[in-house]
Amino acid sequence: MPATSLALTPGLASFLKSLKTNPIDTSIENLISLLKRRQIRHSRSCATATAYLLRSVISACRTADSAKLIERVQGVGRRLMAAQPREMVVGNIVRRVLGLIRDEAEDDREAEFALSDVGSESQPQTPRAYDDPSLPLDRDSLSIRSEDRSARPPLTSMFSLLSHPEPEHSLPSTPGSLSPGGRLPGHGPSKDVRAEVLEGIGEIIDELGQVDDQIAAYALDHIHSNEIILTHTSSTTVQKFLLKAAAKRKFTVIHAESYPNNHEATHATVSGGSMHDDDNLGFETFQKPLIEHGITVILIPDSAVFALMSRVNKVILGTHSVLANGGLVAAAGTRVIARAAKVHQTPIVVVSGVYKLSPVYPFDFDSLIEYGDASKVLSYEDGDLVDQIDVQNPIYDYVPAELVDLYITNLGGHAPSYLYRIVSDHYRKEDISF
Amino acid sequence: MAEPTGPALTAPSPAPTPASEPQPATENAPQTLPIRDSKPAKPIAKDATAPADAAGNADKALTPAELKKKAKAEKAARRAREKVEKEQVGGPAGGAAPGAGGQARAPTTPKKDAAGGAAQKGGKAAPPRRGSGPGPFGAQSAPVEQKKKKDDKKVAVFGHLYGQQRRTTVAGAGKEVHPAVLALGLQLRDYVVCGSSARCVATLLAFKRVVESYTTPLGTSLARHLTTHLSHQITYLSTCRPLSITQGNAIRALKLAISSIDPSTPESSAKATLCDFIDSFIREKITVAGQVIAASAAQKVRDGDVIVTFAGSNVVKDTLLLAHNQGKRFRVSIIDSRPLFEGKSLARALAKAGLDVQYTLVHATTHAIKDATKVFLGAHAMTSNGGLYSRVGTALVAMSAKERASGVEIPVIVCCETVKFTDRVALDSIVVNEIADADELVSSLPPQQLTGLPDPGANTPAPADNKKGGKPTTAAPTLETPASSSSTSPLANWKETPNLQLLNIMYDVTPAEYVDMVVTEMGSLPPSAVPIVHRISTNL
Repeated sequence: MPATSLALTPGLASFLKSLKTNPIDTSIENLISLLKRRQIRHSRSCATATAYLLRSVISACRTADSAKLIERVQGVGRRLMAAQPREMVVGNIVRRVLGLIRDEAEDDREAEFALSDVGSESQPQTPRAYDDPSLPLDRDSLSIRSEDRSARPPLTSMFSLLSHPEPEHSLPSTPGSLSPGGRLPGHGPSKDVRAEVLEGIGEIIDELGQVDDQIAAYALDHIHSNEIILTHTSSTTVQKFLLKAAAKRKFTVIHAESYPNNHEATHATVSGGSMHDDDNLGFETFQKPLIEHGITVILIPDSAVFALMSRVNKVILGTHSVLANGGLVAAAGTRVIARAAKVHQTPIVVVSGVYKLSPVYPFDFDSLIEYGDASKVLSYEDGDLVDQIDVQNPIYDYVPAELVDLYITNLGGHAPSYLYRIVSDHYRKEDISF
Repeated sequence: MAEPTGPALTAPSPAPTPASEPQPATENAPQTLPIRDSKPAKPIAKDATAPADAAGNADKALTPAELKKKAKAEKAARRAREKVEKEQVGGPAGGAAPGAGGQARAPTTPKKDAAGGAAQKGGKAAPPRRGSGPGPFGAQSAPVEQKKKKDDKKVAVFGHLYGQQRRTTVAGAGKEVHPAVLALGLQLRDYVVCGSSARCVATLLAFKRVVESYTTPLGTSLARHLTTHLSHQITYLSTCRPLSITQGNAIRALKLAISSIDPSTPESSAKATLCDFIDSFIREKITVAGQVIAASAAQKVRDGDVIVTFAGSNVVKDTLLLAHNQGKRFRVSIIDSRPLFEGKSLARALAKAGLDVQYTLVHATTHAIKDATKVFLGAHAMTSNGGLYSRVGTALVAMSAKERASGVEIPVIVCCETVKFTDRVALDSIVVNEIADADELVSSLPPQQLTGLPDPGANTPAPADNKKGGKPTTAAPTLETPASSSSTSPLANWKETPNLQLLNIMYDVTPAEYVDMVVTEMGSLPPSAVPIVHRISTNL
């Protein structure tokens, strides 16, 4: 498929183009079907599409009420997530936008209270009226918050104990965050919320564009001279990371090809060929491959990983998404590589943008795994065999946290055990299971 | 590991399949040497004239050291000749070299060595490997550059494993090499005969024909001369593909049998003894051993088991089929790997027998192992420190079985004949390994474009069934549609791309701690018992 993908095939580029012209509901339907058909895949493309769509949704939403905005975004978000539940970044972006709206709403409310201490908006219709009834705590804390937020009632539960101070110093370091204190109290809350939210989404979109470069900036802290680094599949983040280091240091890269799901892209990445998904157009096409920086790249089949691991100094992996417990969902084959590295005491570094960090805790690992096209494993030339046997082609692997030594995000390097903290910095608790 | 040539494994009958062997050879020849078809006539004729008398009576009284030297010289000469042929320089040098090699008595060999050494000193900073000895024959700047480029394509860590290029044709093979061996060499090279037991059996059968057609030259005895005669065959085979451990073990046993023949024995009875020895070796060490292993490993299969296996092992196949025939209900999950796809034929055989088969590639190892209850593995060899030397990827499967997140360990059972045991030791997969042609990794055309191509069976009519998946798919695009393959695969011209290397190793070493049990014809053993069993079986 990627070989024949032209500018005309539906994908991220065509979606973004059509977003400006199409009415908003058409765009939502469009993205849902693109996600369902896997015509937009890969975390970054999904995240970008979601962010742009939500921006249009909010700018099309002619309401002043933040609760209505939340309701609207939740509705759209729910449909997008249902379309492709395994692209967890979609949910992540929706949650972050929801968090933005809530932050704005709170700021405005606080500002109002600061001006005149009137319990003005006691909204009986909380936006979460149709929320999952199995999460009553969530609703409790929310209703407390929305009814008289500034009064700070006596805490009713441990849950709200944690939730209250959060907005004050939430995500101080992310580009997507907003400084709560810097708003003028005199502004009319109605227009302000939407404009601020749109600005916030713009920052998320900027973050998505810059995240690889931000991660790459840490490269020299992690790669030393003459190192032998093993990586797997074609990940733009990993490539940029290695390229950054290649500018200063000489090292060797062993690249496992991840046959059969991504080997073509890997081969293209390795050889600097021009076979890129149009999704990634613009990020990769102007990129020189590592080999042109004088870096020796050794392409191996996945099966040779164990044999070579004894020579490898570091394993650097890209990922599909990162879970709150520090585990990750990555391309199939990652887990055996990580395991082999662990056996050889080779450090495993995962590079990932914060936007891939999902607040979902994996109770059922199997539900995270998507199964792909079986004909990639056994092509139709062997049709007689296909009838008789069961061919499986999982696309993702779940890699438990204990196999990972270090995460490098655009915020820096973290131990897997620290990730929950970043999650709580980035997502509002009440949005986690919206 | 294997798909043997049909009758080879099952019936080592006294009359040794004379029909089956030349047949693949003739089918093979057009397929493997489509371009060089015009050439072989020349070198063969050359061979026939130049060293004809030399080889005949030169071997009278040579010490083993001299023999070795002679073999070396011959090898060097042959390589030189091949190189010369390749470069189309032609006549005089090529003619001289085999002459020197053939007459390699004590006085001539040192001279040749000296010449090679001198040339090497003069001829740039070529790597000091023996293979570069005949460099002077083509000492122009272009080949040197080519050589440099080639070195750039060699993965540094594995530098010691890149020997000479694998032979591509029968051209340049010594005239002593028997036609059956010639054919076998090409079959080995093309993975038509693949898997260590199959390679061993095929080698022994070919050697049996060598022995049958052998006549002792005047003035020497069979016990003395046949060994050197065989070593020509062995050298040829090893240029086609490095010899397997089993081949080495079998050859060692055969040589021992030859040297233990009383010189006074008449030739015909000596040859009969040797043929019997070969037959009984195949029968005892491989055929019956395989049956015994299958029988005892099949006992380990229980109803409801989910058995994971990697690539295509012949013994494992027999085991699973036997267990199925015994009425056991179980599921088999086959993990396969690029580029040989040996599991495909295993899957086909098992599915045909009605087993419940699941098939996937090595990327899905974790998924396949998730609900497995046992892992059955084949072996290429077992090393003396208990390591399992087997198709690359085996270690990943064994490791996954032992390191499941849930903490439950799945038993890993290796089915392995004792003929595969070796006294070598291996700590990692880098020191000892085999490098296959990296072009095999260049991905074949995407499936949708294969439909427009001429049937790949068209140029390989009969052995298509016999073949491993890897070769035809890679052969088809390179031979037939070089243009389109270069446009589709970004790796098509990886050899011209600087700094890009492809590595295609054949084996890896699974540490002993991942192996719970080795099922052999002598019983089920822990991997630590390998050296003892090896000692017992070689001292028999």
